[in-house]
Amino acid sequence: MSQYLFQQLINGLALGSLYALVAIGFSMIYGIVRLINFAHGDLVMIGAFATLGMLFYGTPWPVTLLVVLLVGALAGAMIQTVVFRPMLGAPQVTGFIASLAVSITIQNSALMLLSGQPRNFLFPEAMRQRVSLGGVSASLTDLVIIGLTLTLIAILFVIVYRTRLGRAMRATAENLMAARLMGIGVNRTIVAAFAIGSALAAVAGLFWGGKFGQIDPLLGSVPGLKAVIACVIGGVGSIGGAMLGGYILGLAEVLFVGLLPQAYAGYRDTFVFSLLILILLIKPSGLFVRHVEERA
Amino acid sequence: MPDAPILQVSELNVFRGATHVLKDVSFEVARGELVALIGANGAGKSTTLLALSGLLPARSGTARMTTDEGTIELTRASTETIVRNGLIHCPEGRQIFQSLSVADNLALGAYTRTDKDWIAQTTEEVYRLFPILREREKIPAGALSGGEQMMLAMGRALLGAPKLLLLDEPSLGLAPKVIDTIFDVIAELRLRGVTILLIEQNAAMALEIADRAHVMEHGRVTLSGTGASLMENDRVRQAYLGVSA
Repeated sequence: MSQYLFQQLINGLALGSLYALVAIGFSMIYGIVRLINFAHGDLVMIGAFATLGMLFYGTPWPVTLLVVLLVGALAGAMIQTVVFRPMLGAPQVTGFIASLAVSITIQNSALMLLSGQPRNFLFPEAMRQRVSLGGVSASLTDLVIIGLTLTLIAILFVIVYRTRLGRAMRATAENLMAARLMGIGVNRTIVAAFAIGSALAAVAGLFWGGKFGQIDPLLGSVPGLKAVIACVIGGVGSIGGAMLGGYILGLAEVLFVGLLPQAYAGYRDTFVFSLLILILLIKPSGLFVRHVEERA
Repeated sequence: MPDAPILQVSELNVFRGATHVLKDVSFEVARGELVALIGANGAGKSTTLLALSGLLPARSGTARMTTDEGTIELTRASTETIVRNGLIHCPEGRQIFQSLSVADNLALGAYTRTDKDWIAQTTEEVYRLFPILREREKIPAGALSGGEQMMLAMGRALLGAPKLLLLDEPSLGLAPKVIDTIFDVIAELRLRGVTILLIEQNAAMALEIADRAHVMEHGRVTLSGTGASLMENDRVRQAYLGVSA
């Protein structure tokens, strides 16, 4: 494989990892309460600034990763408890609009507290070097992002498919009333889903800063939107689908820019949205969902 | 008070939206009894069960469950607490978790149980009662036939260790042979001392198996008696058993 192609592939997988992390949380939240959470992308921003704060104090990286997970989880749990819990059972559009309000509130609070000035954001020297792997080389940052993302997703799958909490979350997502009748504390279960999904988005913020080198209070909009697209590609409400959708989207964006003549590079998003429209036309329930049951 | 009724409902009023569905409903269920609620569609039977398991709020009145562990006010407690205390509700339309495996569905039935040995033993017992479920253990519950889904719903309810079991239309939409299986299990549970409150469209079957029954009409309990006495009652025969006067 040529170095160029390999580089593009790693780059696409790293970008896909970011999208996948955000999309999985978006999908978990949609799956359990049927909420289209437009504030989800802002958790990426919160995670990025939490990382920046930790960097400022020189916290070691493993600790930073844990703290960012925790900050994301707490923020997600808080948003659910304060804003969305009272709306459980309300029409879908109520939650949708409330999530827009949450997003605007978070973005503007961040603008007030942190100013709109973009901040530089650097991973330590050691993480920014290139590593060679038998004739080809890749940036260590990208490899770390890919590796950590896959690890986190593996942990998530164990939680969702192998634990009592995960079973309760799947049950609640499928049938709220029946879950209640099993004696499941559905409020706790829903908070857990928000916390886990938001923690993943916050980690995506840590990676985002490391990959792009700059962060600002409005950076959440793009990953939020891309997460929606990734979910639609993979199938909304399915964790595996969101993950694959994220990777497909990341790879498609990078390969499109990398493999076509330079003149087309500016049309990256045009391509992405065309892909979205194409998938909506051909397989509206998503590529990886066998059947869709819409709950009112 | 070992002789206190396990369930005491008194003057219960429940609204669904603006509709006054239950109007001063009062009845009791003694321990070990099988009590049937019969009545037409919309009479308030399912609403009664939903209110008892805390899924619908009561406007006024009380519903009290008394077991060896104490008394709980069902109209004030959370569904979680109610289930933990042994009131298990097997809802209308089965409501199994379609995308989850049969084994996962059963495990969810035992969600409030902590004794692993007890769970393993009871799961084994459910498989003995409904051998087909063991064969289907790994497949998504949505792929089961209607009868198998009902067996799963019953099995799942048994794993909650019911002291008081609420069954909502267990025979609905099932083949006669499957209905027989389900009713055999209901009879066996009763012999084992599980108290059962049963809603059934098929009034004849319900009255045959029930110790006592209540007839609900337009949100009120209008007639109560032993199963046998209601079978003889002219009004019941005309309205629910399809016998002309």
